[in-house]
Amino acid sequence: MDASFVEDAVAVRRAMEYYADQGWTDGLPVVPVTESYLAEFLAQTSRDPADVLLSMPQLNRACTVRLAAVNAALAGCRPEYFPVVVAAWESLAAEGYPVKGIWQSTTGTAPFLIVNGPVRERIGLNSRGNVFGSGFRANATIGRAIRLGVINAFGLRPHELDQATQGTPAKYTCCIAENEEESPWPGLHTEFGLSASDSAVTAIIIRSCVHIEARHTRVPEQLATDIAGTISRTGALIHETISAAVVLSPEHARLFASAGWSKPDIARFMYDHAVRTGAELAAAGKEAVSSKTRWRLPADHPDALPVALDGPVRVLNSPAAVLVVVAGAGNAGCPPWSRRSGRAAGRRR
Amino acid sequence: MADGILLERAGLPAVSICTDPFALTARAMADAYGFPGFEYVSIPHPVASLTEAQIRARVRDMLPDLLRILGVE
Repeated sequence: MDASFVEDAVAVRRAMEYYADQGWTDGLPVVPVTESYLAEFLAQTSRDPADVLLSMPQLNRACTVRLAAVNAALAGCRPEYFPVVVAAWESLAAEGYPVKGIWQSTTGTAPFLIVNGPVRERIGLNSRGNVFGSGFRANATIGRAIRLGVINAFGLRPHELDQATQGTPAKYTCCIAENEEESPWPGLHTEFGLSASDSAVTAIIIRSCVHIEARHTRVPEQLATDIAGTISRTGALIHETISAAVVLSPEHARLFASAGWSKPDIARFMYDHAVRTGAELAAAGKEAVSSKTRWRLPADHPDALPVALDGPVRVLNSPAAVLVVVAGAGNAGCPPWSRRSGRAAGRRR
Repeated sequence: MADGILLERAGLPAVSICTDPFALTARAMADAYGFPGFEYVSIPHPVASLTEAQIRARVRDMLPDLLRILGVE
């Protein structure tokens, strides 16, 4: 690094400290933003800088295209990522929960962004190995652009208007691309009426991200049961039912597909098998539902609706509560499905 | 807090009630509504898991504060 660069670095460091002092960061250093740099972001979209992408009437605040661009630049995005950031905000607005105030909740949720289509390759979004991990600028900074927008456009800072009891690491960033190339099924965006050649962002709100260790079986029902068991953990239940996004590795997706399972088949299986017995729910004190809030609570709570403890209780309210996505590397060494080997399920050789 | 401030602005006397862990949030919300220093009653946490008798006790305890903010002599 030559001397002139180091001189600039001092100025950059001063700017970064200024942003931190203002409370405009997520705790990590941000990139200094000038009007000319901001203009490079705004040039990437046909939207007017004053257009509102998401508003929260309860706070009387909104995130405009300009504010989204400022925060994308702060987050370390390259200008060409900005259309994805805009689409992410639009998807979050359509999702509905943030507008209703979920980002102020003690639950401490985070946006989870799934990107499909040609834009993935164009900007280097990772869909393969370490897809939820670090190492890819587009994934890291597009998710972070939303977090910084939440902090700076809406003032949702921890210990202030963000009341998260614990939060989730996904609040720093949680943006993946679908591994369409290694998926046996059409991309997620085509389920919403877009064509495979379109680029799209699907945003959902998550409380946590749970890893499922499953490289033991070549029987689709066993793999699906393993996943369903994780979905139905009692700790996920605050309301009567939950929703889930299942991000399958390419090997697991192929195992299902080669046995003839479609994505709706997987969702249907989860709906039928993500269940707990009444006794299991009672052991965790979640067997009943409140007449007022529909939250789960013990049967002896004064608000509890009468409950029968016999028989399985579904934790998903419909197959549509399950989103199936394919991402990650095909390197876990999961045994492939075959008609012949299907019988040797679960055995090591 | 938002409801209390909006009711006051609509001319209806109102007192917001929060539990202690939400003091910072309550102040931030009052700031967001352009009403820093908006007075409210803060009571011990939690409320949701209290019995009816405990709820009644909370109300009795907060009543003097509530009446003072309302300006009841």
